[in-house]
Amino acid sequence: MSDSNSDSNSEPSFFTRHEFAIRRLHSLTGIVPLGLYMCVHLTTNASLLGSVEIFQRAVFLIHSPGPLLPLIEWGGIFLPLLFHAGLGIWIAKTGRSNSSQYQFTSNKRYSWQRWTGFIGLVYLFLHVMHLHGGIHAESWMDAIYQIGFGQFSPYNAGSSLVNAMNLGYGIIWPVIYLVGVLALVYHFVNGIWTAGITWGLWISPEAQARATKVCVAFGVILTVVSLAAWAGAVFPGKEDVAEMRAIEDRMYEAGVVAGTVPENEHKRDLRGRAAAAEESGDAADGEQASTATTEPAS
Amino acid sequence: MSNQRVVVVGGGLAGLASAMKLAELGVAVDLISLTPVKRSHSVCAQGGINSCNDQTRQLGDNEWKHFDDTVYGGDFLNHQPPVKEMAYWAPKVIELMDRLGVPFNRTGEGFLDRRRFGGTLYKRTAFAGATTGQQLLYALDEQVRRRESEGLIRKFEFWDFLGPIQDETGRCRGVVAQDMVSMEIRAFPADAAVVATGGCGLVYGRSTMSVFCTGSAASRCFQAGAKYANGEFIQVHPTAIPGSDKLRLMSESARGEGGRVWVPRKPHDSRAPRDIPASDRYYFLEERYPEYGNLVPRDIATREIFDICVNDGLSVDSERMCVYLDLTHIPKAELDRKLGGILEIYEKFQGVDPRIEPMRIFPAVHYSMGGLWADYVKSADGGLEAGAPANHMTNIEGLYAIGECDYHYHGANRLGANSLLSCIFTGLFTGPSIVNYIDNQSGGHADIDPATLSGAVSKQQERHDSLLTGNPGSDENPYLIHQELGDIMTRAATVVRRNDQLTDAIEKVNELHDRAMKVNLSDTGSWSNQNVIFAKSLQDMFPIAKSILGGALRRDECRGAHFKPDFEKPSLTAEDPAERRKQAEEWCDAFEKNNDKYLKSTIADYDNASMQPQFSYEDVDTSLQPPRPRLYGLVGADIIEEVWKERAEAKKQQPQMASS
Amino acid sequence: MIALDPAANRPQFINVRVKRQDGPGQEPYWQLFKIDYEPELNVISILQRIAALGQTSDGKKVPPVVWDCGCLEEVCGSCTMQINGRVRQSCSALVDQLLKDNADEIVLEPMSKFPVLRDLLVDRRRLFKALEKVKAWVPVDSYYNMGPGERQLRAAQEQNYPLSQCMSCGCCVDACPQYNKIELERKKDETDEEFRKREEKAWDTAFVGPHAISQAMLFNNHPTGKSIAGERLDALIAPGGIQACGNAQNCVAVCPKEIPLTTSIARAGRATTIHTIKKWFEK
Repeated sequence: MSDSNSDSNSEPSFFTRHEFAIRRLHSLTGIVPLGLYMCVHLTTNASLLGSVEIFQRAVFLIHSPGPLLPLIEWGGIFLPLLFHAGLGIWIAKTGRSNSSQYQFTSNKRYSWQRWTGFIGLVYLFLHVMHLHGGIHAESWMDAIYQIGFGQFSPYNAGSSLVNAMNLGYGIIWPVIYLVGVLALVYHFVNGIWTAGITWGLWISPEAQARATKVCVAFGVILTVVSLAAWAGAVFPGKEDVAEMRAIEDRMYEAGVVAGTVPENEHKRDLRGRAAAAEESGDAADGEQASTATTEPAS
Repeated sequence: MSNQRVVVVGGGLAGLASAMKLAELGVAVDLISLTPVKRSHSVCAQGGINSCNDQTRQLGDNEWKHFDDTVYGGDFLNHQPPVKEMAYWAPKVIELMDRLGVPFNRTGEGFLDRRRFGGTLYKRTAFAGATTGQQLLYALDEQVRRRESEGLIRKFEFWDFLGPIQDETGRCRGVVAQDMVSMEIRAFPADAAVVATGGCGLVYGRSTMSVFCTGSAASRCFQAGAKYANGEFIQVHPTAIPGSDKLRLMSESARGEGGRVWVPRKPHDSRAPRDIPASDRYYFLEERYPEYGNLVPRDIATREIFDICVNDGLSVDSERMCVYLDLTHIPKAELDRKLGGILEIYEKFQGVDPRIEPMRIFPAVHYSMGGLWADYVKSADGGLEAGAPANHMTNIEGLYAIGECDYHYHGANRLGANSLLSCIFTGLFTGPSIVNYIDNQSGGHADIDPATLSGAVSKQQERHDSLLTGNPGSDENPYLIHQELGDIMTRAATVVRRNDQLTDAIEKVNELHDRAMKVNLSDTGSWSNQNVIFAKSLQDMFPIAKSILGGALRRDECRGAHFKPDFEKPSLTAEDPAERRKQAEEWCDAFEKNNDKYLKSTIADYDNASMQPQFSYEDVDTSLQPPRPRLYGLVGADIIEEVWKERAEAKKQQPQMASS
Repeated sequence: MIALDPAANRPQFINVRVKRQDGPGQEPYWQLFKIDYEPELNVISILQRIAALGQTSDGKKVPPVVWDCGCLEEVCGSCTMQINGRVRQSCSALVDQLLKDNADEIVLEPMSKFPVLRDLLVDRRRLFKALEKVKAWVPVDSYYNMGPGERQLRAAQEQNYPLSQCMSCGCCVDACPQYNKIELERKKDETDEEFRKREEKAWDTAFVGPHAISQAMLFNNHPTGKSIAGERLDALIAPGGIQACGNAQNCVAVCPKEIPLTTSIARAGRATTIHTIKKWFEK
């Protein structure tokens, strides 16, 4: 049962000495940038339910920094996420949930915060692999594409997303996404509430109760947004994909001509349409696909 | 100076105040306590702490009147110089506790709020909600922890004091104590020892006291040769909540804040209390004592409640005796602010909200006015000589007694909210005395003959071992013997005392004592053995119990908490003024005669061979305020008072005439 | 109240299951006791009856159950234990109420976050050590007579008084998922002093607990106590400080004195935030 049987006469480590500041940073990164990013991300995706154009336009905007994008991704999202997750796992390990013994609401929330953190982390790993791929190196992307990962093509945002969700009998990924996103929404909203106590924003029980109400309302809104985002990616059928792709391609070409979209064929869904062409053997598509497949060689 | 070491036994208000003050004076302190000091019995004190204050001063109060109320309430059995010193220190004690952070209740303007307590007409009592004792104790506990962190005090918690260590001259050179976890017995050599171990309520089985208030520490000093004084004066608190494990205190502050005591005029009236109209309610304290009303001194309130249930048969409940203590006429918000803590206790343990329904209460053993005899040095102004080594020293040189386990301050009856004061006062006041005593000694704690220390330890080790292994065939169970002792003591020596019952009780207690010496333990282990610790304290209850009973038997009078109806002074019966005057004169004659015989402290010395206390009597220092009759509620009180005043005047004149 | 129910509803016996342990590091085991029912019992009186009885339900002679108790009116904080799985004071655990929730038996276990000394008796020194860590005292100059303390408004007293009622019973930390048991084993060649030092070091870097955070806030709100407010906040941001709180808020839910512990924690959260930022800029 003993937790610290360590026999150290040495000075406390850097981490121990600065645990307070590091944990405040943990709390902060959960909200900014991670939580904030999640809100933007979900809202963007929810727009797909509205129209393919809005969604694609948003993705063009996100990808406008071009070569700087990986820097933003890693500095603004992946590193904070790894920090938040790594420390989160350590924090969760320092505690011992007892919500089956003490069944108070706040105690259950404490346990759920930890479980949703774990679920969210696993989900985010799958999500990044599934769509983003993590690293932009072409050989890596090619390799993982074969096993169903790295499926997202920013310049064919909607269609590649829908395609990706349809992998695995069209049920596995949607379920994973639904569970993962809702877990993260809970984790974020409950995290805001506890951060308010940690930082000393809401102090009295009355203030905490009011904060709970606000957080619940925010959570409901965010849930609706995430369900919309989920639906936007899950509900379109195969026939919709072709239509979406056509619109996206048109937007890409027009954008390149207008100079608003940096030309980058790697961000187009070329592998996807090759596969689709192979499957259907359709001539028209085949022609397009062959142009596309030959492209990198030229 | 820095090489002085004192061992303080007991971590209640008195012990902590003593440790804290000694540490400030540069003395190294070993603090020994049965329980973590923060859990000491002082936490149970609810009502408050007395001192005259700026507000009461302007209504005519002063320290002298506080002193006078205390000795009058104590029926003049108090030693007056220490009481006077205490009364004059009282405002300073409260100021110190205020500085230490005690959250006393405040007036709207931010001054200390005060309430009225029994036995006085002034609002002298400062309070912190209904947990004043707890708050005072915590403030001292915090200071002791602070000094502990500075290395000035070492605490030994869960250690049981087994007895003083005396050298060949009889001087106390430390104490022997036992770790209640590991059962290790060891010596704590010191230059002086302070015993601040509280009362002995457990002698009565159930009382308002905590489970460790067995009186065994005082008894161990008693058995080592210290004198025990005024044992028979046991305060029975008028208002407690009857329970099967303990009788929980319902503070006097409930009456101080306007609580009214009543019973239905019709015996066992089955109506709900709120359905009983005012005309059918008997507010017996208010009717019998119009001036003090519900705030008569404790002994009187106790007797009246006892009387109304036992003799008048007006108990609220037919199955068990109790009366109503009613707060329901006071606004809820006010109750919560001023009495929240104690009302919660009632609600928690009885499951009834006292804000809505009157509480059912009955008297319970509460405080021991008597305790270890200790000396003092009177100063020129009638108080105590500050710093005199003899102050509070028992007849064992170097062994001091303070707090509830001393005997000076409360006489035959303690006034409410004076105990917290006497504990803190004695703890603080004795600091310089102890330092001066040590300064005058030639040998210090470092050069005690090792044989003296090891001899004291091995004596205790033998007692311990023989309890574990001895009496294999016996089936005497210490817990059952304790119950029997409690029953005997409660029947014979609480509110009403009769000589035939006392004689009978003495015999039974003697028998029980013999049985207690042969207890067979169900736990013979050598680790955290509470069974053997309890058996020892049970055995040590008997010398105290015998002192209580023997002292009570020998005292054929009524004084404060000691009430013998066979020796009660009668009310005046005559209607005719001349005849009434004559009766009053006779009454005063009888009063004087009685005082000549009984206005004395009972002193017990314990004879270990016969296992019996030997009684003698000591004059009480009443030099500051001559005794006068205590006339609360007596018929004819006015005329007796008149006669008495005339006599007192005459006495004052006499010496002047003689000298002129 | 059950006590008022007709006699027919009253059980004849009460089954009491006690988790016992003979000493530190030894294997715990269970014993069942059968006590005659009486109205208005509490867990203390049950343990007293077990001690007097001296045998289990199947008649085996056993030593009395070891436990800690004091005032029996819930102001001393001694008698904390787990009763039917929930940490609380045993004096205020009324049998009639417990039987209402579970008529079959009453289960008594020692507190879960402190080393068991024997049976239901645990070693809670760490609780008190935490009070030393946060300097929970008013740093007065002396104990001489220096006149009254500062005047304080009633509102300040009313804020402080509830916090000052903390009796260090340990319920809050026992229910806290972030407060972990520390049980060190004494080494063969270690002196008392060395072992104590090692223990205190282990306690010092582990979570101080809600009670200590609340006491720090109490004294930071006292006119004189304030003078070392910074030192207390430094203690709260040191290893084992307030950052270890996980906001499960069990502390406030189980506190027998209903002390607003989570309010204190949030207040300490704000104070440490400001304190840290200030310190950082003033360096």
